[in-house]
Amino acid sequence: MSETTTLQVLKATAKNSFINKFTLTPPIYWLIQILVVSFFSMYFFVILADYVGNPEVTVTYVVVGNAVQSVAITTLASVSQVPGTEKHTGTLGGLIQTPTPLFTIFLGMSTVGIFTGFCSMLVSLAYAAFIFNVSFAACNFLSVAIIMIFTCLSLTGLGLMVGSVGIHLRTSAIIANIVSYIGLLISGVNFPISYLPDWVQIISNCMPLTYAVEATRSAVNGASLADLWLQIVMMTVLGIIFAIIAWYSFRFFEKKSRISGTSDNF
Amino acid sequence: MSFRAVKAGFRQQAIQFITDPQWIIPSLILPFLFTMVMLFIYRDVTGPIVLQAVLGGGVLGMWANTLFASSFTIAYDRMNGTFEPMLCSPTRIFDILLGRSLWNAFIGLLNAILIFIVAELIFGTGLSLMNPIGFFFMLILTLFSLSSVGMLISTSFVFTRMGSFFSSIFEYPIYVLSGALVPITMLPTSLQYISYILPPAWGIDAMKYSAIEGYESMMGVSVYTDILVILILSALFLMASFLVMSKVERRILSDGSATRY
Repeated sequence: MSETTTLQVLKATAKNSFINKFTLTPPIYWLIQILVVSFFSMYFFVILADYVGNPEVTVTYVVVGNAVQSVAITTLASVSQVPGTEKHTGTLGGLIQTPTPLFTIFLGMSTVGIFTGFCSMLVSLAYAAFIFNVSFAACNFLSVAIIMIFTCLSLTGLGLMVGSVGIHLRTSAIIANIVSYIGLLISGVNFPISYLPDWVQIISNCMPLTYAVEATRSAVNGASLADLWLQIVMMTVLGIIFAIIAWYSFRFFEKKSRISGTSDNF
Repeated sequence: MSFRAVKAGFRQQAIQFITDPQWIIPSLILPFLFTMVMLFIYRDVTGPIVLQAVLGGGVLGMWANTLFASSFTIAYDRMNGTFEPMLCSPTRIFDILLGRSLWNAFIGLLNAILIFIVAELIFGTGLSLMNPIGFFFMLILTLFSLSSVGMLISTSFVFTRMGSFFSSIFEYPIYVLSGALVPITMLPTSLQYISYILPPAWGIDAMKYSAIEGYESMMGVSVYTDILVILILSALFLMASFLVMSKVERRILSDGSATRY
């Protein structure tokens, strides 16, 4: 496929993803969902931290962590469920017949998920500032903005990798669910990763979210982009690795599905 | 009420679950992760607090299962094109959903027990219940109360194609307002009032009362008051869901909008 065609496909599928999303869920409901889920998911852990009273797990610690986690939940869940949804609605077979690689199609379709993730984080940070009284006085907003973009992109790579399995399995919803929420436990969202067993910490270090949470906390405390280069590099590298795996994974399952004619198997 | 329809709804839901049992996994994961997070934040704490975290996790599991099963059951009817025949049949949708909810409640109970077992195996929590028989009774009662809330919410799934929207909207608030992991007294007063009108909040209170020695109940009431309030509130929720469902059913039948997308 030429570069122009790839861009055309990305543009068309991105546009389609927004049309699909907002036809099924009117924008006002979509906004309510972001507002309610972001608030209660953050509030739940705030009162938990308050109740437990661990001096290392302060309200600010939990609020910033959950603001970043909201991106993971939204981006990962929506991106990774795209192939499974196509399968469920019976359109996957048609997509496999087209000359365009599935990876390109689903990357474009992920746009609305990335956009939603970005909005969730904005809403969550607003809650942090205006409801949970997290001080942003020292915050480096440019660093936060850049980290948000890198977080969404790196998680898209992970989401696509997970989603590719949806072509083969009956659904990708379950594995997507696990990956979306596992960050609550292993990425330092609600408590330092040093609390975890050593072998789990190795997995934590392979998750882009771990670096995103760490970088955002530092940026809120005033760290500049120069201070956060390591986290940004790690997110980029992991995002690229996941995207490459996703590319091959899509090709593998696409080929398998064509040969065995199982794209609509449940 | 048609008991035959309730039984058929129960059986149908059981068959669907047995055909594809993987759907229990999502309703296990989040509550279990929450419990784990709480236990990790506590670090090295033992005794009633750990027990409270594990019990809370079990309740969250029951709620997640009730909510998602209610939302997906109607969503799949819509997608599979079986929703219209259901509406055209002389059987009330409420009866069919009640049968399905009973199965979901049964799975919710297994879900909670599974969380207790896994927590025990991983953390060695040493679950020692003060009154095991009373606790089991309260667990069933709590499940009943959660199902009554689930039934009311499931009316929205009949009315709209946005079942997933409503299920995500209602998931976290009940986690917070039920006092499953964190006591209701930690909430602002305005939210505490909302908790008091939710039957699961009383169910959880009764569960903790029978499980934890020296537990001070919500509003200082006895366990019998808890039971009475659960029964009254659950009955009110069920009546409300019956009335709303009847109205919704009439409306979608009159304007033919059941499967409009």
